[in-house]
Amino acid sequence: MSRRLPPRSRARVGSPRWALSIGLALASIGFVGAAQWNSSTVRQTVISSAQGVLIIQAEQRQREQEQLRAQIEEAEDRVREFQAQSAGSQSATDRLNQDLAAARLAVGLSDVTGPGVVIEIADSTRQVPVGENPSNYFVLADDLRDIVAALWASGAEAIAITGGGGEGGAPAERIVTTTSIYGAGSAILVNQALLSPPFRIEAIGPGDLHERFLANPFYIGRLSLRIETFGLQFASEARDEVRLPAFIGNTRLRWGAPERSD
Amino acid sequence: MAGRVAQLSLFGVALLIGALLVGQLRSQARPIELANLSPQELSTLIETLSARNAELRDGLADLRDQVSDYERAAAEGQSSLAIGQEDLLRVEAFGGLGAVEGQGIVVEGEGSFDPTSVNDIIQELRNAGADAIAIDDIRITASSVAVLGTSAIEIDGVPIGRAFTVTAIGSPGGLTTAMTREGGLLQLLEQSIQARFTVREDRSLVVPATRRDLTPTAARPVE
Repeated sequence: MSRRLPPRSRARVGSPRWALSIGLALASIGFVGAAQWNSSTVRQTVISSAQGVLIIQAEQRQREQEQLRAQIEEAEDRVREFQAQSAGSQSATDRLNQDLAAARLAVGLSDVTGPGVVIEIADSTRQVPVGENPSNYFVLADDLRDIVAALWASGAEAIAITGGGGEGGAPAERIVTTTSIYGAGSAILVNQALLSPPFRIEAIGPGDLHERFLANPFYIGRLSLRIETFGLQFASEARDEVRLPAFIGNTRLRWGAPERSD
Repeated sequence: MAGRVAQLSLFGVALLIGALLVGQLRSQARPIELANLSPQELSTLIETLSARNAELRDGLADLRDQVSDYERAAAEGQSSLAIGQEDLLRVEAFGGLGAVEGQGIVVEGEGSFDPTSVNDIIQELRNAGADAIAIDDIRITASSVAVLGTSAIEIDGVPIGRAFTVTAIGSPGGLTTAMTREGGLLQLLEQSIQARFTVREDRSLVVPATRRDLTPTAARPVE
């Protein structure tokens, strides 16, 4: 014998409001699903072209780079351990270790912390007008260079750039004497590591670093104009505490050597 | 019971809509970087990444040799001070605290430069892999940036004139190619501001140490 649904439930299931809600929900799923399918189809078309092989090679190089960085970091730690426990004259060892620590701190080879600023810059969300160059609406290498120049000129003592929003993404790239920032198409390489937007630039410096940065010609000039004209997303704020990692990479001279004083 | 099922169904539907919406919003951001590059750009990128990885491998090999030296010295009960002192010289040379000698190029430039074009020259040399750079006798460090001074362009507080000499230690051929390439920075500056440049390779160059005190006052090491 079949059971009859309680009157209240029957009324709920059969109500127009219920049918409307389900209908809207299914229509939304259909629309969004179709849009997802379209965008993934377009991406699939691009990747399956001749660029596919090159993309795989580029990704392999990036993975290799990450592994090499991790191995270098480990080896640097081992060197520092040995230096801390060196045999021989203790006072000479202590003096040497102090000099090494001071040198590493001065040139970007130590993790550092202190007051500073955090700057974030991302591509514009504006619709690109017909006939305009879409690249204008992307963050370019010149934009990052202008930010870095403005920070150094404002008294920054340490700077690092992170891509992809910074949280849990690729490690930050510390700016050192050999740092290059340049664009390869729409991609930006910092220390020859590929970074993608949004970009986070953090700097440690004097208490008025943020104010000085905002008044610096490298910020006020080309960069501000691009932010305003093309709608690049930009935000900056002073922070009481910023923490930056040491530079991880090759610090060996390849074409030169330290000059020896005879 | 039917009410519970209906609630669960609605929850599932809402969850699915939410997931699809998030995916759709993410795909509205700039498309995947690599898929957006042309084959030419990808080839250049691969070349750059390969070059960096080769440098990293060399650096790693040197570090491992250094670790081996320390291990050997420890095993033999010898002082590793000499190894540490070599490391200090290397760190100082890398960061600009010590002078560097080697091969590279000398660029003589003259023209109505602005700070951005001078900074671009420095950046171009870094992009080309220069180990050490000086403009006149000013060692370029991480924080060196050309700015407009009271009467001239200044780097690290030192004015540079209309004519200046850039010394860069690095691959002579590689640096020359990077600086003299068709459509490159020097050519652009020659056309835009009527600057004049000469570039020559040199097998025996010296880039001086910085005269600035690079010791930070706000930044302190993480303990």
